[in-house]
Amino acid sequence: MRITSRMMTNKYKRSLNELSASVNKLNDKVSSGRSFSKASENTSAAISAFQLRRSLSRLESYQSNISNASDLLQNAETALMEVNGIAQEASTKLIQGISGSMSDSDRSIVAQQLRSLQDQLLQSLNSNSAGNYYFGGTHTDSAPFTVTSGKLQYKGIDLDTLASGSAAEQTLTDDARYVDIGLSLQFDPLQPTKLDGSTAFNVAIPGIRFIGSGTTNVDGYDVSNNLYNLLGQAADGLEDANYSSDYVNTLLGQFQNQSEHILMTVTEIGSKSSYLDFMANRIDSEYLNMQERQAEIEYADPAKTIIDFKSQEMAFEAALSMGAKIIQPSIFNFIS
Amino acid sequence: MLRSTFLGFQTASRALTASQICIDVTGNNIANADTEGYTRQRVDLVSISSGGYSQKYMVTGASVGYGVAADGISQLRDPFLDLRFRTENAESGKLETIVSGLSDLENIFDETTSEGLQTQLTNLLTQLQTFSNTPTSSDIASIVRTAAQQVAQIMNTYSQQIDQVRDQEIYGLKTSTVENDFNSLVKNIASLNEQIREDQTHGNPSNELMDRRNTLIDELSKLANIQVSSTPVKISESITIDRVSISLYDASTGTSIGLVDDALYNTLSVDTTGDAVSIDLNSSFGAHETKDITDHITGGAIKGYLDIINGGGAFADETAGENTFKGVPYYKATLDTFAAKFAQVFNDMNALEDTSTTPSTITPKPLFEASDGGTEITAGNIQLTDAWLDDATYLTTTKDPDASSGGSDNILKMIQAMNSGHTFLVDPADSSSILFEGSFEQFVSGTISDLALDVSLHQSYTETSGTVLSNLFNERESLSGVSLDEEGVNLLAYEKAYNAAARFMTVIDEAVDTLLSMGLVGR
Repeated sequence: MRITSRMMTNKYKRSLNELSASVNKLNDKVSSGRSFSKASENTSAAISAFQLRRSLSRLESYQSNISNASDLLQNAETALMEVNGIAQEASTKLIQGISGSMSDSDRSIVAQQLRSLQDQLLQSLNSNSAGNYYFGGTHTDSAPFTVTSGKLQYKGIDLDTLASGSAAEQTLTDDARYVDIGLSLQFDPLQPTKLDGSTAFNVAIPGIRFIGSGTTNVDGYDVSNNLYNLLGQAADGLEDANYSSDYVNTLLGQFQNQSEHILMTVTEIGSKSSYLDFMANRIDSEYLNMQERQAEIEYADPAKTIIDFKSQEMAFEAALSMGAKIIQPSIFNFIS
Repeated sequence: MLRSTFLGFQTASRALTASQICIDVTGNNIANADTEGYTRQRVDLVSISSGGYSQKYMVTGASVGYGVAADGISQLRDPFLDLRFRTENAESGKLETIVSGLSDLENIFDETTSEGLQTQLTNLLTQLQTFSNTPTSSDIASIVRTAAQQVAQIMNTYSQQIDQVRDQEIYGLKTSTVENDFNSLVKNIASLNEQIREDQTHGNPSNELMDRRNTLIDELSKLANIQVSSTPVKISESITIDRVSISLYDASTGTSIGLVDDALYNTLSVDTTGDAVSIDLNSSFGAHETKDITDHITGGAIKGYLDIINGGGAFADETAGENTFKGVPYYKATLDTFAAKFAQVFNDMNALEDTSTTPSTITPKPLFEASDGGTEITAGNIQLTDAWLDDATYLTTTKDPDASSGGSDNILKMIQAMNSGHTFLVDPADSSSILFEGSFEQFVSGTISDLALDVSLHQSYTETSGTVLSNLFNERESLSGVSLDEEGVNLLAYEKAYNAAARFMTVIDEAVDTLLSMGLVGR
């Protein structure tokens, strides 16, 4: 095959162009630190990179939700311990009031104290953080517990009229507020507005769970089941002209029974909190793993890239110096 | 046989002339060693025999030839190599144009180093998650609204940028390729045809004009799928010239549309009035049934432009002859499908449902609407409804009848919708025409990967084509190119031949001199 000078220059120009293109590309890699800067350079890596970015963002949301829920539960626990404290004090006072050595005026002092404890109880039940009420379930923007004619109302419903175990009470107890912590949210196919409880985290602690509802007939007396009303009934009983220590005793027994619900709820919160800690740890380590994978896919190993760059640069310089030698001489250099 | 006394002088002088012509041609070759499109020339030398004499008399004894004559100067060119080169050139032209157009599109969609639609969708999801913690907070509600607005706005931006790319491609096709390049090339080739014919009729081989014409035909081959044919036409007894005609050859239907025939030429024009851009033939010779010849252009840069500008991909109606390449209209329609589905899913979720009646009454509370007030939402016209813009709490947070105002079940529903798969249809009326099945973010990611794969595929085709073209170029060069070393050697040879002929002349001269100075008569 004849070789002409144009063929040689053409081929040489092409090779130089290819070499300088790869030097340029490696230079980009080194300076940007990325192993590809357009999806067309490495499509499968780009798609994996997009997926990882999405997953990382979701994990961040879950971490944030968990931390919010944790804070909420902690605050609720503190408030609940307050309620417990009030209940203990009320219990003590009531025991004092029942003791036989009390005079009428002593009893009315105790009654006053019980009434003031009622107020404290109401306040604690309506604990909130910046207008977000802890014990209202989904009723978060105004106080869930109110008092009308001395009786406690939950979300505007008189608690005494709410029979324990009734459907209405069940609905209020089941009132849930869910947040997504990465358990693949699913809704109940039969009830599209109800979330499947195992696929999300419930941060709601409806106060009705521990405060008690409805009334019971104990030893012939109709006593309320909720702590607030019980205190009111006890105070009334103590101030009653026809004081019946039997009656107040029954009230005390009922009060102490119902108070147990408070500690049960505290325990519940405790186990929820440790579940959240467990989930937080899991998500943290998942997050770290994903970040590592993202670094592998998106970022170029600096050492390797610089070595590639240097060797390509050397090849380019070698081609340049060789070319000058190929192109120049022809027979005319040698004809005298 | 008797020998003519002065015969030698003629032979010598012919030899000198021939050598001089050879040296001149070699000089011409050397001078044009780097000229684009130059084909090396070679002198056709023929040896002259003693003719005529033998027609009348029988010849005995030694019969000597009368020397050498330069018959003409010819070019060394292989028409088959030209054909292969031009075919590959058309392919290369088409692929380069496609890569350029698709790369422009990729710059719009790609999010490897920038924040685009995917990032905004993920951001919307993040804000919804934050909102789910405090559903009654109106300031977080307005953050969610802002995130949704950014999604809508970035879709508007994408749509505008896609339109701009299409406009640029149309400009590239219409103004620079068809009007400037193609039409002026056919005109110049036709006028060169005429000049060459004139020249050759007068006996001039017109090598330089032919080189120029070949270069122009090479350039034309990059623009469209042309076919060159040359038919020899007998002008007179001794002169036959080639009549060159160029036509657009569509191999699939076997149609041939004349572009240049000797001095006549047809131009093309671009019709941008319809939805699809079409190419019209402005015919001044050779009747063709329809003016619109878009379907017959199957290669070259013009085809590349047509594919990018008209290509509807899965949205094209193949039976109606629409272009099925995945070009700008395909990606625009893909984005529109996404916008419509996104708006529909969110609008449906936000609507209030009263289950007390059968069937339950639905009160629409749309979040997204079309800016032109129509019912069809596209990426270009999607925007937030005024109701939502005026009141950030327009977002329905809870639809659970048992929950109070702090319920977040509807927000969680929206979160679930962002994570779960949807079916995107090519034709909303045909539920089997599935474009994509997956979540919103996966759709965008899938579109980017489609585009990126297309780009990298066509880039590797272009590289392959470039290599083939380069090889063909080298083969052509090998045959027709000037090798300085070869010309240098030829120069030495011709110089020696000239010296030898001159020496011969001297010898003959001395011989005649000797003859003339033989006796003393006439001295």
